[in-house]
Amino acid sequence: MISVTPTNQQTESLDLDNLTAAQTALEIRNLNLHYGDAQALHNISMAIPKNRVTAFIGPSGCGKSTLLRCINRMNDLVEICKVSGEILLHEKNIYDKDVDAAELRRRVGMVFQRPNPFPKSIYENVVYGMRLQGVNDRRTLDEVVERSLKGAALWDEVKDRLNASAFGLSGGQQQRLVIARAIAIEPEVLLLDEPTSALDPISTLTIEELITELKEQYTVVIVTHNMQQAARVSDQTAFMYMGKLIEYADTNTLFTTPTQKQTEDYITGRYG
Amino acid sequence: MAAVKPSMGASNYRLFKDRAARWGVSFGGIMVLVALLLIFFYLLYVIEPIFRGVEVNHVRSFKSPSEQVVAMGMEEQSEIGYQLTADGALVYFAMQDKPASEWQAGQELLRAQLTEQTPTAFTKTQPQNNRYAFALPGGSVQIVQPKFASRFVDGKRYTEPRFDGVNDDDILQVDPQGQDITKLAYEFDGESKLFAMQTVDERVLVNFIQAKRNFLSGAVELNSKVSDLPIVGAVDELRVTPDLRQVLVRQGNRFWVFDVTRSGAVRERQMITIDSRQYGKVTSMALLAGASSVLFGHDNGTVSQWFEVAGNDGRRYQFIRDFKVADSPVEAIVVEYFRRTFYTIAGNGEMGVFHTTSEADLYRGHPEALQAESLVIDPRANTLLMQTDNELHVFDLHNEHPEVTWSGLWQEVWYEGYPEPDYIWQSTSGSDDFEPKFSLVPISFGTIKAAAYAMLFAVPIGLAAAIYTAYFMSPGVRKVVKPTVEIMEALPTVILGFLAGLWLAPVIEHYLPGIIAVIFLVPLAIILFALIASRLPASLRTRFTDGRAALILVPVVALVGWLSFQLSPVFEQWLFDGNVRQYLTNELGITFDQRNSLVVGIAMGFAVIPTIFSIAEDAVFSVPKHLSNGSLALGATTWQTLTKVVLLTASPGIFSAVMMGLGRAVGETMIVLMATGNTPIMDWNIFEGMRTLSANIAVEMPESEVGSSHYRILFLAAFVLFVFTFAFNTVAELVRQRLRDKYSSM
Repeated sequence: MISVTPTNQQTESLDLDNLTAAQTALEIRNLNLHYGDAQALHNISMAIPKNRVTAFIGPSGCGKSTLLRCINRMNDLVEICKVSGEILLHEKNIYDKDVDAAELRRRVGMVFQRPNPFPKSIYENVVYGMRLQGVNDRRTLDEVVERSLKGAALWDEVKDRLNASAFGLSGGQQQRLVIARAIAIEPEVLLLDEPTSALDPISTLTIEELITELKEQYTVVIVTHNMQQAARVSDQTAFMYMGKLIEYADTNTLFTTPTQKQTEDYITGRYG
Repeated sequence: MAAVKPSMGASNYRLFKDRAARWGVSFGGIMVLVALLLIFFYLLYVIEPIFRGVEVNHVRSFKSPSEQVVAMGMEEQSEIGYQLTADGALVYFAMQDKPASEWQAGQELLRAQLTEQTPTAFTKTQPQNNRYAFALPGGSVQIVQPKFASRFVDGKRYTEPRFDGVNDDDILQVDPQGQDITKLAYEFDGESKLFAMQTVDERVLVNFIQAKRNFLSGAVELNSKVSDLPIVGAVDELRVTPDLRQVLVRQGNRFWVFDVTRSGAVRERQMITIDSRQYGKVTSMALLAGASSVLFGHDNGTVSQWFEVAGNDGRRYQFIRDFKVADSPVEAIVVEYFRRTFYTIAGNGEMGVFHTTSEADLYRGHPEALQAESLVIDPRANTLLMQTDNELHVFDLHNEHPEVTWSGLWQEVWYEGYPEPDYIWQSTSGSDDFEPKFSLVPISFGTIKAAAYAMLFAVPIGLAAAIYTAYFMSPGVRKVVKPTVEIMEALPTVILGFLAGLWLAPVIEHYLPGIIAVIFLVPLAIILFALIASRLPASLRTRFTDGRAALILVPVVALVGWLSFQLSPVFEQWLFDGNVRQYLTNELGITFDQRNSLVVGIAMGFAVIPTIFSIAEDAVFSVPKHLSNGSLALGATTWQTLTKVVLLTASPGIFSAVMMGLGRAVGETMIVLMATGNTPIMDWNIFEGMRTLSANIAVEMPESEVGSSHYRILFLAAFVLFVFTFAFNTVAELVRQRLRDKYSSM
């Protein structure tokens, strides 16, 4: 039996059911998602607080990654995917017809499971998002690179070889580079889709420390397979099972006194 | 649990299969390489002889059967030689030991005294005409033709000298005044004969004896027309061209050219004084095979070539090139029967072998340390008979491909009759003694031109189609489109060539303005339509976001294409004064061929598109999804992701696709064979055709004589093609590797 003890207790608890507008980063309302005829998400409603780390946990195929991808509309790229319900960002439904997906994704950044640097230099990887918006001023870009790489705790390791290929970095460094790339365009929300699952334990630790720092500026939503990780880095945790949100609470509460039987079974390792 | 212990037999069998597979695969791979190398070496083996020098190998020497020899010759087999002596005798002798006929080399076989009188002058025709003439006292001429008889006994060939006695027809009175002749020149064409001579009283005259056949009786009537030439003093040499149209006279360094008209009238065409300071004093003169070029030997050991070049005042002889043949004065120039090879004898007895077209310096020296006095070549140019004092020497001559040199193949050459040096490919002609023009430059140029126009057509369409299919098209449509385009690759190119040559070429000729309009209007219409579509209200636009958007372009393209063709006559009327071909030729000075580069570009482009499409599509499609997702997640639009990440990552594959297409276009044969007109010209004009290396081989290989220079040059063309594709593919692979190292995804 695995015992999971939350370690991240420095932030005070919030009443997740009654967040004020100022406290809310995102609000998901009655979200349903179908892949063709199969329903992958069932009527999910939750509010994600600002400048906090929210973790989605659950067994494989429970829909946690799908839900994450709904938040920046990456599911649009899957043709057979149909979404109903609302996700509000600044009280604006991101699924409204007049919302430009590219602009949404600029505000809601995402980091994937496998490090995916572009076949470019470290420098060009970081400024990619800036260049997309037409920023080409060298000084601005230099500042962005330094700020982002420092923000991603990578600056000291790569500052002497900014023009080297990003492929020369280790897996952990690449993942931090990808985070730097994401924060370079200063998104409001940063989505992390199992960001450490392809990394070694040391790199994982570095990334986890980084996540804790990131929440000062960004709202972080992380999907993880690793319950210890969720316990370590997140402020609140949502447990999902079979496309349903089973329980959503303070990480502390969820791991110590889950209200649902399924949650308890999962966090005690009955299935997973 | 009982452990399953594999039996030894099964393990051996597995080992055997593993080994067999390894050896089998290695064997196959090695055999492919061996086959390629064999092709490579076979090509080299066939090509190699054309770059070999001349070999002169001494066979035997024997005593000359007669003295005071004025001319020598031999028959085709080089078994029997003959000499003509100053006292008017024809002497046949054996050139080799022949036990079957009981001959020994040097043995006199037959001696015919042709005349009792002492000849006053002697001349010979060009070698292939094989006639000799003695001038007899009193202004008459006796013509001699050495003859041979062949008979077969028990399947063996016996050649014997033949002499039919002196015929009355062989003796002609050529000087009406009956003076002794001191210099003589003679040629004939059928029954007609042309004589040029100088008599003892220093008159220079021409006697043109023309034969006219009476249609009714069949009797031949001879008309003699005598003309005096306005030359004062004793001349050194007289020559008559074998077409009986020119008389050439040399007096020291002065050189006259006289035209002889059909009616027999003689007109001075040109008089040149050959600058003795520049070229040296003229010591001898000869007409090269084909009789278009005159060769002058000079006292400084050079030979200069002169031929007629068309200028403002008609065709005039001019200096073309010279050869350093010896260090002492050139005493005699001997020409071959058909080729532009000439042999020189210098004052110090040095022999030289040269070729005019290729400017090849084939041989210089004293074979067997002999001092040559005169020499003669057999009709097949593989035996050389040399005289020194009163000895004769037989040499084997290996001079298979004098007309080919590396510089002649790749540099401008001044061919006979051309106004300037040029790159020309003309391998055959109606006559045996024409000058072959083997420049690989026009056909290599044609290959590049055809490939370039094909790529101009295929690369934009192929790549755009590939990118669209791989990146924008819905998977359902892609599943149908990709195999369909790939099946196009299996279409036999002979069908494409056939359609291009017989259907497309006339269509393009007829609708030329329409075709040009299509090329410009269709892309314009597509961009315009895209612009309109992007301005449509979002509700209308989102209906077509599922990858079928391209389908609504189909009617637009079809409509613009149809309109362009319908308006073709209107464009023609409005922009090109009603006839585009006349307008191109007269107003713009552009030549228009029906089989032109535009047709080839479209047809071959059509053949190349599937290659480019297929490889490029795979490259774009196999760009990892996580890369494009990474870009999209940073707020990039689909287009930005495509141009900034996907194409960059796919660039090695896209480059490969283009190079594979280029390789295919360079090697393609049937389309260029059928749709280019096969004109070996060098011009980038899109309305003119070309001849490519591959088409040239296909067209000319069946008609080339095995082992000839032409045959070997066609193999050289194949080798050049091999090198072309090899170079393209190697460069492509190197660049692809580099790009892959740079942009390889994880």
